[in-house]
Amino acid sequence: MNMEQAFQTFLAESAELLQDMEDKLLGLENCEDATESVNSIFRAVHTIKGSAGLFGLDDIVAFTHVVESVLDDVRSGSFVLDEQLINLLLQCKDYIGKMVDSIEGESVLMTAEDLQLQQALTNTLSGYLNKVHSTSPATMLVGINETDDYQSVSVIESDITIANENWHISVYFGVDVLRSGMDPLSFLRYLATLGTIVHIETVTDGMPSPEDMDAESCYLGYEINFHSNATKNQIEDVFEFVRDDCQLKILPPYAKASEFIAIIESIQTDELKLGEILLRCGTLTQRELDDLLHLQTSVKQGGTHRLIGEIVVADGLASSEVVTAALHKQAQGKKAKEKQAQTVRVDAEKLDHLINLIGELVIAGAGVESEAHLTGIGSLKESAQTMTRLVEEVRESALHLRMVQIGETFNRFQRVVRDVSKELGKDIDLQINGAETELDKTVIEKISDPLMHLVRNSIDHGIESPALRAERHKPVTGNVTLNAYHESGTIVIEVSDDGGGLNKDKILQKARANGLVSPDTELSAHEIYQLIFEAGFSTADAVSNISGRGVGMDVVRRNIEALRGTVEIDSEYTVGTTIRIRLPLTLAIIDGFMMKVGDVFYVLPLDIVEECIELNACHSEGQEGRHYINLRGEVLPFIRLGDYFCKSQRKAKRENIVVIKYGNLKAGFVVDELMGEFQTVIKPLGPLFERVPGISGSTILGSGEVALILDAASLIHLVMQRDGKAMSVAAQQSALH
Amino acid sequence: MTNLVKAERALTTQKVREEESQYLTFLLGKEMFAIGILSIKEIIEYGQVTSVPMMPSFVRGVINLRGQVVPVIDLQARFGRPSSLVGKRSCVVIIEIRLSPEQEQHVIGVLVDSVSEVLAIAPAQIEKAPQFGAKLRPDFISGMGKVDDKFVIILNVEKVLSVDELSALTERVEDSRQD
Repeated sequence: MNMEQAFQTFLAESAELLQDMEDKLLGLENCEDATESVNSIFRAVHTIKGSAGLFGLDDIVAFTHVVESVLDDVRSGSFVLDEQLINLLLQCKDYIGKMVDSIEGESVLMTAEDLQLQQALTNTLSGYLNKVHSTSPATMLVGINETDDYQSVSVIESDITIANENWHISVYFGVDVLRSGMDPLSFLRYLATLGTIVHIETVTDGMPSPEDMDAESCYLGYEINFHSNATKNQIEDVFEFVRDDCQLKILPPYAKASEFIAIIESIQTDELKLGEILLRCGTLTQRELDDLLHLQTSVKQGGTHRLIGEIVVADGLASSEVVTAALHKQAQGKKAKEKQAQTVRVDAEKLDHLINLIGELVIAGAGVESEAHLTGIGSLKESAQTMTRLVEEVRESALHLRMVQIGETFNRFQRVVRDVSKELGKDIDLQINGAETELDKTVIEKISDPLMHLVRNSIDHGIESPALRAERHKPVTGNVTLNAYHESGTIVIEVSDDGGGLNKDKILQKARANGLVSPDTELSAHEIYQLIFEAGFSTADAVSNISGRGVGMDVVRRNIEALRGTVEIDSEYTVGTTIRIRLPLTLAIIDGFMMKVGDVFYVLPLDIVEECIELNACHSEGQEGRHYINLRGEVLPFIRLGDYFCKSQRKAKRENIVVIKYGNLKAGFVVDELMGEFQTVIKPLGPLFERVPGISGSTILGSGEVALILDAASLIHLVMQRDGKAMSVAAQQSALH
Repeated sequence: MTNLVKAERALTTQKVREEESQYLTFLLGKEMFAIGILSIKEIIEYGQVTSVPMMPSFVRGVINLRGQVVPVIDLQARFGRPSSLVGKRSCVVIIEIRLSPEQEQHVIGVLVDSVSEVLAIAPAQIEKAPQFGAKLRPDFISGMGKVDDKFVIILNVEKVLSVDELSALTERVEDSRQD
C-alpha cells in the first residue's frame, strides 16, 4: 500500500466516519442510547485526528483535537449533550468535512471566511472546556499519575524514582514498516502535536553494514524525551498503526528505575551505550544513570528471584490502564473483523472492468448458442443452453455487486430536513419508505443532487407555515415522505409532502406572463405541472436562500433525463404534491427485445414491451396516412420506424406492431420483423452520436453485428413534437389562404 | 514522472518530424491521399456496417471492432462529394485521434476506396497547401507531398475527423429534418 492509496482510504474513511457521526448526533436528538453514541462519535473524531496526523495535516489535527477534548468531557459525564451542543457538534462535523475536502497536498486550503468560522467554533468549544476545568481543577491525567505513583511506592519502596517530569518513549520500528507504507517520520510528527519533543536520539545500532542493507527496510529506533499532558493511552495511540510492527515502551514521568532497566535490557544493544543515549535525551541525569547501573548489577548479583519479582511488579504497574486499553483494543479489533467479513471494499474500476468482461461473455455466449442451433446437434445445443443459463446467473450477480440500497442516500436528508425546517420555523417530519430498494451505484450517485433539490423545494414551497396549516385544519407537523419501489423494471422514487400543493392557475398565469405559454393555449393539469421544469421558472414570490430563484427544477429534469429517466408531478392544491422520478435499474446490461427494420437491428428494453401484434389489413384499412389502431377498444398511436428512420417506402410483407408502455405513455412501433428476447450489453455510441435523439446506445449481437438501442420515450416525444409543429404549420398555411 | 514520459514522447515525435515521416496512401475515386501513419491503428475489410438513422450522409454507420462500437466516416461524403461506392477493395482505416492531451482518445473508422502503400516523405518534399484549387477545404490539408513528381494530399486528420464538428453537423441534420 503506497501513500497515495492510503490517502484515498483516508478520504473515504473520513467521509464515512463523518456520516456516522452525523447519524449518531441526529439519533441523540431522538433520545437514542446516549453512551454508545457518544463513544462512537468520539471514536470517529479520534480516528480522523489520528489519520490526519499520519499525513501531516496539522490544521485538521488541531481542530479535531479541540472537538475530541469536548467529546471526552461529555464521555466522562462532565456535562450533558443538549441540543445546543449537538448543533455545535454538527457544525464542527461539517467543518471537518470541509477541511478534508480542501486538502491539497500536505496542507488544508481554507478561505478566510472558513477560518473565521473555525475560530468561532473553537472559541465556543473552548467555552465548554473551560467550564469543565473550572469546576474540577484536577484533570484526569493527574489522577492517573497519582495512583500510579501511589501504587508503585507502596509495592516497592527500594526502587529509585527518576526525577524526570517528562515521558520517555522508546520506539524501535520493525523492518517492514516502510514496506507497509508507513513513514516513521509521520508518527514523530504526529507525536509532536501532543506535546513537545524535548530531545530525540536516533538509535542506528540495527543498521547492518552497507552491503547487507536493504533500502526498503527500516532499521531505526528512537529514544524520545517527551513533554506532554497527554495520557499514556493517547501516546500509545500515536503508534497505533505500527503497534504490531514495532517495539514500543512508554514510561510515564517519574518512572521507576527498574523500568529503565527493563528497557535497557530489552533493547539488544550495548547497555552502556543505551544508558548514554538516555543521558543525552535528558531523561536521566548522570547520577541517576550511575545509580541505575549500580542497581542493575546488584539485581543481577541478587539472583533471579529479585529480577522476576521486579518483572511482576512492572506488570503490576502496567495494571489497570494498560490492561483496559489492551482489552478495549482487542474488542475493537474483533468488531473491525466482523465488519470486514460483511463487506469488502473494491475499487469501482475493477468492478466496472468485471462487468465489461461479463458483458463480452454474454455476447460471446449468445454467439455460441446461435451457432449451436445451426449445427442441429442435440447435445451441443443442450450444453450451450446450460452455459447461457449460467452466464445469465453470473451476469445477474455481477450486476448485483453494483446495486446499493437507497436507504443511505435517503438518510442523509434527515439532516437537511432538520436544518432547513428549523431555519424556516416549520415543524417537519421526514418519513422514509422503501429504504431497502436497490439500484445501481452510479445511478444513486447521480440522483442524490436532484433529490436534494426536490426535498428542499418540498420544505420551502411545499409545507405551509404552521399558522397556515392550522387554518387549513392540518396537523402542525408537516410531513415529507421519501419513497422508493420497483415497478416493471424501473425504480420509482417519490418525494411527497402534505403541503400546499401546486397552484395551477398561478403557474399558468406566470407562464403566460413569462411568455412560456401563449395566452390562448389551453393546457391539461399535467402539462401545467411540467411547466415548473422549464428553465427560469419560479412561482415563489420571495427568493429565499433555499430556493425560489427558478434555477434548479430544469437542472433536476436534465439530470434525470441524462440517466434515461423521467419525472412527473401529481399535485392537489392545498392537499399536497408528489414528485415521481422513474429511473432504469442499471446502466450496463438490459434484457432487450430485438426487432428488425430494413437491414438494421433495433433493441427495446424488454420491460417496456407490453405485447406484439400483427399489423394486418383490417387494422390499416381506410387509415391511410393516419397512425393509430384500435387495440381492443383502445386507441393506440403508432410510429412506423421504417418511415421515420430510413425514409424508404419499401414495406415488408408482414408488419408487426410492438406495443410499449413507459410510465403513462403507450404507443406502438411498426417494425418489419420480430426477433425476440436478447440479452443486451449497452455500449455507448461515443461522442459522435451523443446528440442523436431516439437512440440511447448500441449493442453487439452474437453474429458480431451492431444493433441500436431505441430510447422509446424520447422517440415518442420527438414524434409528438414534430407532429405538433407540422400541425401548427398546416394551420398557419390554411389560415393564410 | 508523467512529465518525463510526455517530454520523451514529444522528443520522439519531433525526431520523426525532423527526419522523414511515413504516410499511408489511399485512393478516393482516382485521387490519392495520405494520412500520417502514427495515428493509424489498423486497416480492416469493409463489412457489417450498421447504419445509424438520422445521420448525415458522411456517417456510414457503426462497426464492431472486437467489442468496441466504432463509427465509420465516408471520406468522400465528408469532402462534399458523392458517397463512395463499396467495391472489392474498399477498406476501413481505423484511426485513433486525441484532440488535446486532456481529452480521451477517439477511435474512428474511415471508409476509403482502396489502400495503396506506406510511403516515407521527407519534410523537404512537403509543400504548403494551396489556398484554393484542391476542391477541398484548405484546413483539411496539412500539406502536399511530392511523390514521383506527383502531388499527394496529406490530410489533417484532427480537422477532418473533428468530433466536435462532426457531432454539430449530425445535430444540424436533425434540425433540418424537423423543419
